[in-house]
Amino acid sequence: MSADLTTARHASSDDPRVMLEEEVGVFAPIPPYPPRTEREAEFYSLGDGEMFINMGPQHPSTHGVLRVVLKIEGERVVDLDPVLGYLHRGVEKLCENADYHHTIAYTDPLEYVSALFNEWAPVMAFEKLMDVEVPRRAEYIRVLSGELNRVASHALFMGWMALDLGGLTPILWSFIERDEIVDMLASLTGQRMLFNYFRIGGVNGDLNHEFMSRLGAWMSKATSQIEANQALLNENEIFVRRMRGLGTLDREAAFRLCMTGPNIRASGVPLDMRRAHPYSVYPDLEFDIPTRQEGDCLARYLVRLDEVKQSLRIIDQCLHDMPDGPIMAKLPRLMRPRPGRAYAAVEGPRGQYATYAISDGTDQPFRMRIHDPSFVHLQSVGLLTPGNLVADTMAIMASLDPIMGGVDK
Amino acid sequence: MDRALKRRLEARFGERLLGPIRQRHDETEIRVAPGDVPEVMRALHDEPEFRFEALMDLCGVDTGSVMQTVYHLWSETTPDWLRVVADGLSRDDPRVPSVTFLWKGAEWQEREAYDMFGIAFEGNRDLRRIYMPADYTSFPLRKDFFLPDDAARSPGGGVRHLEQAHAPSNATPGAQVRKAPSS
Repeated sequence: MSADLTTARHASSDDPRVMLEEEVGVFAPIPPYPPRTEREAEFYSLGDGEMFINMGPQHPSTHGVLRVVLKIEGERVVDLDPVLGYLHRGVEKLCENADYHHTIAYTDPLEYVSALFNEWAPVMAFEKLMDVEVPRRAEYIRVLSGELNRVASHALFMGWMALDLGGLTPILWSFIERDEIVDMLASLTGQRMLFNYFRIGGVNGDLNHEFMSRLGAWMSKATSQIEANQALLNENEIFVRRMRGLGTLDREAAFRLCMTGPNIRASGVPLDMRRAHPYSVYPDLEFDIPTRQEGDCLARYLVRLDEVKQSLRIIDQCLHDMPDGPIMAKLPRLMRPRPGRAYAAVEGPRGQYATYAISDGTDQPFRMRIHDPSFVHLQSVGLLTPGNLVADTMAIMASLDPIMGGVDK
Repeated sequence: MDRALKRRLEARFGERLLGPIRQRHDETEIRVAPGDVPEVMRALHDEPEFRFEALMDLCGVDTGSVMQTVYHLWSETTPDWLRVVADGLSRDDPRVPSVTFLWKGAEWQEREAYDMFGIAFEGNRDLRRIYMPADYTSFPLRKDFFLPDDAARSPGGGVRHLEQAHAPSNATPGAQVRKAPSS
């Protein structure tokens, strides 16, 4: 039976490879047109003993739909060229044609594992455009739910990272952690992943009993559970040896590559928007900014683990200090901010999420730029990987933690 | 608003600035001619009184009459965001020098601005489309590019599937391109 199928499949040609090439022609590594830039010409010319290999777009370790063309010599990567756009939805254009409230739903699916931060930046930018004062309780709820989302995102990062290195167990463990948080947020916002929870001037719903009881139950065991998860990898010699010294980035290079978030903090720069450019109620909260000096993959991983502990600290303080009061500012339903420009940035689990909004006095933003940290971080793969093994490409990419939904916008 | 930063910027760049320095909330905005971008950026990046080490965002803007490129910078010397606007790029042939010589990480952001607006960044050695296919010819975020989606209230509502880079026949004359306020 199977033999028949095979024969039928290659019936048109004597050489089975010919058919195969036609099938995958769309994703052939070498583009079917002449090079457009200096860099493209340089990349798509092979030296002695070099060959191209296509990774993706359906590769499990590209965290979405990313294609990377690798130029390899033996087992070493010489150069690589990421090809984006498979997930491009034109969110910025859609937002220009939607009114201010609708844009929140459009920005949600950008980085789907940390959707609250995608909402937070535009909401803050619009509040600046309209000079809205957000009630304090709403700010505390934002910080509380945001930090929960950060823990969920970092938990997933841990699992993915191990998965990309060939370890299956941590992702199962981290999904336990993540699912609990996600269910908790679902009882608060009504949705598991794409929350659509923040509003211009506040949040959509107040804290409820189910959320609080779930949160209480989770907080009582969170620290021990997270430490157990960490012991799974931190004490794993294979993992640590593999990650140490891989993809090293120093302080200057991190700035040059426009890095933000845990990736720059792993290179010894304490750049955290919550402190570097304070917003919301973060100035009132106590927490540290964990940094590492090494700048390698292991440091990027460890910084995130330390951040989870700080997030738990912040959640504790939020619950303790949560004031009473309204959760929404009084605002008209139809918003027409005066003409002007506003830039707002928040510190997400991957780095700086920012929005630059221009108003022309109508109810739709004239221009809405969404800055996504994954997009900026992904390009450094091209600089960190050359010289390493093919399998290390995945490790380096995983340590930068890009989410393709955000990269492709 | 950081008044001291405003004074420092005025003292350092004076006649290079196009128009007054605007400040609102925690933002300071300066406008420069496209040709001055490399020099101004290098000064902002290197000089100890500014030390804007981090380029937080780079994007293009189509105001309907001109093109702009907008840079947001962060420094530990000021609590403000600094917004540098390279103003007055022509819509027919927008050109601006690249800042990749200072920030390698600007490369993809410039590619994105090229892909979406057609702005040519001189000096970026990899200026090709990043999201759209290589044989694509339009620039989707320009204001004369209309969405075909009838749910979107664009003047192009009703235009079908293949998106058009010019004003559709049913657009109101004079109202085809949404223009930014002059401020």
